Amino acid sequence: MRSKKTLLALGFFLILGVMSLVGSEVKASSPQLNITPEMKEKFPIKPHHEKLAFKCTDCHEGQGDEPENFKAIEDKGCLSCHKTKQYLADRLKFMDALHTNPHNSIHDGPKLYCDECHYEHKKSDNMCLSCHSNDVKLWMRATP
Amino acid sequence: MSKETMSRRDALKIGALGTAGLAMLGATNAMAAAPTEKDVKFNEEYDVIVIGSGFAGLAAAAKAAERGYKVLILEKMGRVGGNSAINGGAFAVPMNRDQKAFGIEDSKALFVKDALKAGLGINHVEMLELIADRAQETFDFAVKCGAKFQTGKKPTWFGGHSVPRTIVTENMSGSGIIQPMAAFVEKLSGCKMVTRAKMDDFVMSADGTTVVGVTARINYRFDNKLHNDDIENKSGEKKVYKAKKGVVLASGGFSMDKDFRMLQDPRMKPDMDATNHEGATAGALLKAFQIGALPVHISWIQEGPWASPDERGFGVAPLLTQQGLFVLGIAVDIRNGKRFMNEMADRKTRADAEYVVLREDPKAYPVAIGTYNTFEEQIYAAVEKGLASGVMKKFDTIDTLAANYKIPADALKETIKKYNETAKAGEVDEFKKQTLKDVKGKEAIEMKGPFYAIRLVPKPHHTMGGLKINTKAQVISANTNKPIPGLFAAGEVTGGTHGASRLGSCAIADCLVCGMVAGENI
Repeated sequence: MRSKKTLLALGFFLILGVMSLVGSEVKASSPQLNITPEMKEKFPIKPHHEKLAFKCTDCHEGQGDEPENFKAIEDKGCLSCHKTKQYLADRLKFMDALHTNPHNSIHDGPKLYCDECHYEHKKSDNMCLSCHSNDVKLWMRATP
Repeated sequence: MSKETMSRRDALKIGALGTAGLAMLGATNAMAAAPTEKDVKFNEEYDVIVIGSGFAGLAAAAKAAERGYKVLILEKMGRVGGNSAINGGAFAVPMNRDQKAFGIEDSKALFVKDALKAGLGINHVEMLELIADRAQETFDFAVKCGAKFQTGKKPTWFGGHSVPRTIVTENMSGSGIIQPMAAFVEKLSGCKMVTRAKMDDFVMSADGTTVVGVTARINYRFDNKLHNDDIENKSGEKKVYKAKKGVVLASGGFSMDKDFRMLQDPRMKPDMDATNHEGATAGALLKAFQIGALPVHISWIQEGPWASPDERGFGVAPLLTQQGLFVLGIAVDIRNGKRFMNEMADRKTRADAEYVVLREDPKAYPVAIGTYNTFEEQIYAAVEKGLASGVMKKFDTIDTLAANYKIPADALKETIKKYNETAKAGEVDEFKKQTLKDVKGKEAIEMKGPFYAIRLVPKPHHTMGGLKINTKAQVISANTNKPIPGLFAAGEVTGGTHGASRLGSCAIADCLVCGMVAGENI
């Protein structure tokens, strides 16, 4: 019977699914990697990353399981999702007209380190502000 | 004296000696003399190591690399170029081709004379002559590396120069030179630039006479929250680099060094704003002093008289005053509505004049005033920017302007009337302003308005002093009065060339020429 078959198949996948979940749960729930409320407070992540339910090791890949020893992931880490600096510059190409594209500035081109401005676990900083204190608010919103 | 018969007094003496010895040990630790090659193990080996990636560093690196040398550039900051990348891109090229094309007569003697006048006569003339002799050639070298300039038009006339002799980059920023030059160097085989890499010490030969390398820290993060990054910042991992031919120190000036600049001029308080990037500190300069380099003119710190207290750093005011309000407009003391300087004099003259006012009343920022006719066409976009950000304000009448800045209105009107009448008649201006010839028969400040105004404050901009170099860019030793083997320097970290005050647009000329010379001679 069709419905029985479907049910069976469904059941099979359900079990598989639960098993895989359990599997990943086992891996992720090694005691050191439990994201405790204290850790969340100490290393908050950006809302847009939180929405995607990022775990510590999604970014701090292969850095062991002791968050206190995690190192900054550098440009390579950011760009593993955010593609290239040129791609990011092109996304804000409309800002080039007024020379206000922070990812392709007159001074630096598409070459700055991501963490010259963007920080994950603390408030980001806008480097343009160090010389353009009055202009930045006209050019762009707060640095994500 | 045998042990048995050693008296209590002798024992005390030895004890005292021991203490003194300990104290001396402590002192050497604090002094941390430069290491020698016997003290270190080199991680990597290059022909030439350049400290800093601004105009001077990149010119030295490009020239040395072009000669086939393996070059390593160490840049402390995450950005390439330091102040050069945020500079206005104006390059004084005495006797340049555009001057000839537009019939402007210039000469080495005239350039030297202009620089000596602004520099109060204490300039090292042989360095000025070197710049005059080689500026055009250096300009061509920058073009070869990919820099783009606004050529084929009349050169720009900067304050203190007798004739227009300045050529500006296509994007009106020093980055128009820095970006292509950095790419040029990195393309050459064996050459490498490392950012976030801070030089810590020179490594000397075993006999202590010659620079043979440097110690540095990679993955260094400059921290603008620290009071003194050079001393307090412990970030990064140590590396030791060997330089077979030598080291070029091109680490820039120290206008942002809160401690060192205040030592030179106690009036420069730690919270004082400057036009420079955050990393412009004295750390590397002091390391050169430590190995015996001669200091020159250290306390002459040039302040830009065209900056504004209404924005941080360099900002937009310098453009709007230098290529705007100052040219045909005036600057007044708000307390009496009177002019107090030639708005187109050299930087020091103007900054000093502003300080006469500000030392009497630190809140009485002078105000520059002019009308739309004063702005050069190429800065029209900046005019909108200045108004939008509030650095420049626009008023329909002199009365509203005067009220806003609490200037006595009648006195201000009288000042403008007199200024306009003199200019219109083609008479010599009260402060001998040289840029009013073209308005003969017209109003310099157009009374129909609207009127534009910017508040002024001098900001530390360029440190005139630094290491003594000769015309081969070799650093001179205080111990021998001869070059320190293996050590070259160029750019703002050197001193003497500009004397008490540098003329505008001579920094690029100095940095690129001496950088190139260092690259040739190393």
